Amino acid sequence: MNILWSKLLEVVYAVLPITIIVIILQFTLTSLDITLIIRFLIGAVLIIIGLSIFLLGVDIGITPIGTQLGKTIAKSNRLWIVILAGLCLGFIISIAEPDLHILAGQVEMVTSSAIAKLTLVIVVSVGIAVMLSIGLIRIVHNIPLFKILTIIYGAVFLLALFTSPQFLAIAFDASGATTGAMTVPFILALSIGISVMKKDSKASEKDSFGLVAIASVGAIITVMLMSIFSRQSELASGTMEEEHHGTEALFMPFLQEFGHIAEEVILALSPIVILFFIFQKLSFKLSRESVRKIVTGLVFTFIGLVLFLVGVNAGFMELGTELGYSIASLEHKAYIVIVGLILGIVTILAEPAVYVLTNQIEDVTSGYVKRKVVLFTLAIGVGIAVALSMLRILIPGLQLWHYILPGYLIAIALMYITPKLFVGIAFDSGGVASGPMTATFILAFTHGAAEAIEGADVIVDGFGMIAMVALTPLITLQILGLIFKLKSKKGGMKT
Amino acid sequence: MMPNEKTRHFEIIYVIVKFGLGSKILKEAKKCGVSGGTLFIGKGTISNRILNLLSITDMRKEIVMMISNQKTTKKAMEHLNKVFRFDKPNHGIVFTTSLTSLMGTRSCQIEDDEERGDGEIMYQNIIVIVDKGNAEDVIKAAQKAGSKGGTIINARGSGIHETGKLFSMDIEPEKEIVMILSDEDYTEPICNKIREELKIDEPGNGIIFVQDVNRTYGIYE
Repeated sequence: MNILWSKLLEVVYAVLPITIIVIILQFTLTSLDITLIIRFLIGAVLIIIGLSIFLLGVDIGITPIGTQLGKTIAKSNRLWIVILAGLCLGFIISIAEPDLHILAGQVEMVTSSAIAKLTLVIVVSVGIAVMLSIGLIRIVHNIPLFKILTIIYGAVFLLALFTSPQFLAIAFDASGATTGAMTVPFILALSIGISVMKKDSKASEKDSFGLVAIASVGAIITVMLMSIFSRQSELASGTMEEEHHGTEALFMPFLQEFGHIAEEVILALSPIVILFFIFQKLSFKLSRESVRKIVTGLVFTFIGLVLFLVGVNAGFMELGTELGYSIASLEHKAYIVIVGLILGIVTILAEPAVYVLTNQIEDVTSGYVKRKVVLFTLAIGVGIAVALSMLRILIPGLQLWHYILPGYLIAIALMYITPKLFVGIAFDSGGVASGPMTATFILAFTHGAAEAIEGADVIVDGFGMIAMVALTPLITLQILGLIFKLKSKKGGMKT
Repeated sequence: MMPNEKTRHFEIIYVIVKFGLGSKILKEAKKCGVSGGTLFIGKGTISNRILNLLSITDMRKEIVMMISNQKTTKKAMEHLNKVFRFDKPNHGIVFTTSLTSLMGTRSCQIEDDEERGDGEIMYQNIIVIVDKGNAEDVIKAAQKAGSKGGTIINARGSGIHETGKLFSMDIEPEKEIVMILSDEDYTEPICNKIREELKIDEPGNGIIFVQDVNRTYGIYE
């Protein structure tokens, strides 16, 4: 039973920091409603249990399916199969992603139905599908990742010139939203499944990462194209309706969330499950024992993710808003920036997909790139991102592109000097960082802060935070790569 | 270049521990004069009914391989045992084997001349290399013949039977290495059972070889 305890302990260490920080804040800077705090603690317990079960499920369910699929695609040895597989997989995974539906719903509300929810979801899914295809072609044809990324980000910059600022934020956020807790592990496993077939172990290692990165850019490009073609220059400023559950209710919010979250998770899981059974019949032909394992894994994934999301939505979300509001209302505005930095650092530790990515990195590099190092670097990056977002709320003149433009220029420049393995890791982690934990808790915190600050627009400042969280890891992790390069100059890896 | 008789005093230490301890093991070993080591990730079997019901059948392990002379290995192993308490159950396994050949580090290849030390050999290390996906069957076969379990290592390789090419890349199919420590009396039946179940004698189905083990800590009957 050791293994269960060690998994649980790992997750406790991940969720404890954020819990401790909130409690410290409660006793120092803020004094929030006690029911909120109790609900937050219940949420934290649910998150710990849910995340443990979810990670076990990914290990024995999602990852094997992804790797098997990847191998099957590579073995087909026909280019059109690779392209077709990329298109189909990309589209159905993306269209089933709950985070994307939430974002599209918000966009529809904000734009007073100028952009229909369904339109945006389909546009984004098409983008993901096309880019996933290109990403798969890259792996089988050994095209270097930095070349592809330079080209597609070049296209993004060009299109950005013709896109309105609000749309810019929506486009970047959409790309963050599509890479959810379920899709990232699956796409990672898929690319590792294909790369593992390579003879050249260096290339295999390098190409294991980068697929998530390429796929998520697809969303940015198609949303921008949509904005240019639909000539939506000015968005009518709508309002975000904050749902207020009575704060006296302690357990009700959890029960209310449970039903629709279960539905969402079933929706997100369904493409992967259906794919698995189709391929099991056609080509995998796994033994009954292996199928039983994978099915158990899928059940774990479902239960874990539902518990996790219920914990986040019912326990963390409202507290995030209140926390942001009360800290931003304080006399000293420096507090909100510092608290933003700390919250960014501790929140990312509890992000589900981060665990999957760091584990995969360890597996692929046989432990050369340690999990803790990647986690630490990622946390610093996200902390900086949240702090910068707070600054943007405080200073009316600062706009999103003031960050995004130099940020991506630095990230792209770094690609040419950092070890190629880290390029893939860094760009993948951008998609990983913008998961459910960030998209709910940090986003709520940002909204709360924006409400408290005079002259800050909830919508303009609210959108774009996810884009920042997806950007900073690209820079910090590539810098980590440079450090690795310098450190391992003398004789390289240990033998 | 060293003379042959000296090389025979070189040994390889294998350490199998839970994931994350590998680097620490190497660090401790270096304190005792071991010059370096190689680590890789593996999966170990769990035999626990509850966990098997939950489909948790294996856990991540790290394997450390270190080569040094007999005097240093002995010192290192005693030190490691003190630090990591391999003498307690579930703390990991350490063992050494003599090298029949050692290339690329500090000597030339040597021939094993059938000479053994005075110590009685209690255990043997059976190493089986098969195509990926068959390792579970190897373990099952071994267990039928009285083995306690084994450690699976992910690997990749190609023999004379694999010459596939795919777009611009050569295909090098994945393999699995299975390491089974067995009591000397069980070695023969275990090997035979695996040969029989995996059809090792047919071309392209895998390889089995056996090494003697000198000292072990952490194996419980």
